[in-house]
Amino acid sequence: MIVKLTRIEVQSRQDMEMIDITAQIERAVAESGVRDGLVWAMTSHTSAGLLVTEGIECLERDVLAHLERLAPKRPPEGIYGYWHNRYLDFDGRLGFNAGDHLKSILGGVNCLFPVENGRLVRGSRQKAYFVEYDGPLARTVLIQVLGEGGSLNDGA
Amino acid sequence: MRKQGIDFHTHPVLVREMVERHPSLAEAARRTYFIGNNFQPLETFHLEMDLAGIDKAVVLPTGQPASVGDSGWTNERIAELCGMSQRFIGFATVDPHRADASDQLRCAVKVLGLQGLKLNPPIQVFFPDDPLAYPLYETARDLGLPILFHAGMSWEPGSRLQYGHPLRFENVAATFPELRIVLAHLAWPWVVEAVALALKYPNVYLDTSALYFDNPPDFLKFAMTHQVPLTVFERSLRKQVVFGSNYPRVEIKNMASAVDQLGFSEECLNHIFRTNAETLLEVVR
Repeated sequence: MIVKLTRIEVQSRQDMEMIDITAQIERAVAESGVRDGLVWAMTSHTSAGLLVTEGIECLERDVLAHLERLAPKRPPEGIYGYWHNRYLDFDGRLGFNAGDHLKSILGGVNCLFPVENGRLVRGSRQKAYFVEYDGPLARTVLIQVLGEGGSLNDGA
Repeated sequence: MRKQGIDFHTHPVLVREMVERHPSLAEAARRTYFIGNNFQPLETFHLEMDLAGIDKAVVLPTGQPASVGDSGWTNERIAELCGMSQRFIGFATVDPHRADASDQLRCAVKVLGLQGLKLNPPIQVFFPDDPLAYPLYETARDLGLPILFHAGMSWEPGSRLQYGHPLRFENVAATFPELRIVLAHLAWPWVVEAVALALKYPNVYLDTSALYFDNPPDFLKFAMTHQVPLTVFERSLRKQVVFGSNYPRVEIKNMASAVDQLGFSEECLNHIFRTNAETLLEVVR
């Protein structure tokens, strides 16, 4: 059994942004020595997330727009106004990004793929995205590959 | 659309490259500046500025008392950071209690190239109108330096709010009419008193880096619309307000957006974001 954890840093450049990290996850699989198993990735932040969806720019815009619709940055009026809108003495600053935390919850912070014969298995349209909800920031993504090692079947 | 701006109030306490060079800065960020956020590459600071329509930022030392020594953001480290980016304008700090305070300030300007003075009366434990600080004010005036004073509310444990009351700055403004002083954070909660001072003394400026509850748009709307009508800032003080974010306590993007949305004319925004800061910074001798 091999368990290999890799940390990568993703620099977001916008307030909200989807960044394709499929290649980095595939690289972590290739370098892990795992032949058959699984790979999962997780961001260690609470105002960012990971998502799997079709890798096209128009869909990226729709994902961000509708997460913003569901959990807007501006506090909604009335009973759905945010409590997370106050000074956080433990953090030395105000917390007023409840909408970004809620987007992270809605979209999730991890993704999982099978590994077969040393390669990450995914649908032909699927891409793994790091999703920034409150950038720009340098963010951390953890990639862990678990499974059995062994020589690869070269298909011959 | 307004001009690219100058952020007159930032703290570089989370710049990772500096923390890697000087590990004591990590401790200073946590124990002196009381911030828990992750350290970030310098690039993040620049990206924050880009996103907010800001092309230059004043970077401030933390103004710690002399007892903290040189473990924090000293003048030398501010100058070192400015050497890493042409987008930064470094300010110095000195302890007004020290007999050599004026000499230190001259050194910070002439040797290190710093362009302003930051003083934090609640943390440095002095009243702004205490004559002990007057020689330092004379030196700043003679060098053509603006002084950015922390004013108003202080979160820091052990600090006392009385040192930051805006009326304690009146004698300074009156005694040194050629000295340009900026009261940070709109001197909140004493915004009315700070505005009165700025109305009476043309050498008194206010910075917008005020956020003590809720969020930037709601807080600034309260302070700059309800506490004092926006028209007072637009009509009477448009040349005495400078944009400041207080980054990284507040993201530059959020504070800039809040000021942009207040309802000022484009002309007024250009003064607040650009020309007033240029006026403050142009006379370094």
